[in-house]
Amino acid sequence: MARLAGVFASSHAPLLVRGWEHIAAARKGRLAAAFAELGRRIARARPDVLIEIAPDHWVNFFIDNLPSVCIGVGEVHEGPPEPWMRDFPQPRIAGHPRLASHLLTAALERDFEPSVSHHMKLDHGFCIPLWKAGLDAIPALVPIVINGLEPPMPTVRRCYAWGALLAEAIATYPEDLRVAILATGGLSHSIGEPTMGEIDEAFDRECIRQFESGSERALIEFLNEHLPRIGNGAAEVRSWVAAHGAAAGRGFELIDYGPVPEVYVGCGFASWDLGTSAAEDNPR
Amino acid sequence: MRDYWLGRLFFDLQNSPAVAEEYRADRGRVLARYPLKPEVRAAVESDDVAYLSQLVNPYLLRFYFFMIGMPDEVFIGRLRAAGAAAAARSSHG
Repeated sequence: MARLAGVFASSHAPLLVRGWEHIAAARKGRLAAAFAELGRRIARARPDVLIEIAPDHWVNFFIDNLPSVCIGVGEVHEGPPEPWMRDFPQPRIAGHPRLASHLLTAALERDFEPSVSHHMKLDHGFCIPLWKAGLDAIPALVPIVINGLEPPMPTVRRCYAWGALLAEAIATYPEDLRVAILATGGLSHSIGEPTMGEIDEAFDRECIRQFESGSERALIEFLNEHLPRIGNGAAEVRSWVAAHGAAAGRGFELIDYGPVPEVYVGCGFASWDLGTSAAEDNPR
Repeated sequence: MRDYWLGRLFFDLQNSPAVAEEYRADRGRVLARYPLKPEVRAAVESDDVAYLSQLVNPYLLRFYFFMIGMPDEVFIGRLRAAGAAAAARSSHG
């Protein structure tokens, strides 16, 4: 049977790539160290497959037909289409159609109705963390888009439930696979709004505290109260919430957090300690 | 409120380097292919950030002005001026 081997989260600001040279040296050093630690933790989990959860930045979908959640079941996914991501080392990334289809079926059987894509482009939201984390090789990837850009968006509660569903589905997948989850987006930022450039560090730190506290209800209430009132980019924290749900709301470990004004984003990096069985399997 | 064709224009510019290149060379030729309302087209032609920001997803707006080469400090300045103007209108009922 498959097993959940790790759960991780990362920011994915575009300026981490196309504005990297303009970031102050001290902050750049911390970001590089955080990405490296993220990469080490992912490598330690030895995933055969990585389920990556991120929003779509108007690359796959438009308002003609905008899914709340979409699972990429393709054999292969296209690398990032953004011109400034042209140096990303893999123009194509292998998928894992069998696990992806299992997730899709498991979701439908539990009355979740995701959209499905057989050919997905993975924009910077998917690729920057993979790239910056310095993985030797990118595992087979199952991308899951959670809409965090255009209202209406799935509720925070539903995103948490999606994470729990993913964990259940992984546990019932018959192949002997190690599966990890990487959630990307957030934390606070504001794009194309009058508050663009503002980072709400107080929100970010409370958000992290809520993840650490492990209270599902308190986290959901906190986000329901604050997300409508702060910069639009924080909506991407839905990806982190799904990861938290997959980890059953326990074991959140902050790798690092810092507001990075040069990239307009409160940048956060985290993993979840999955407990005894995972620890035995992943000696530190 | 979302203006479908304005959003569609920005989406196409983001997802087709050839269209983006054509747009940079000849805005009018590309704009002619989109049934934009006259006031929307005028706002595009005059780089009216404040007006367009009311009609399109903020991420597409940000992409568009980045794509046409507006410096971030100018774009952000115009967004903030638009926000301040909206707040002033709101406070005056």
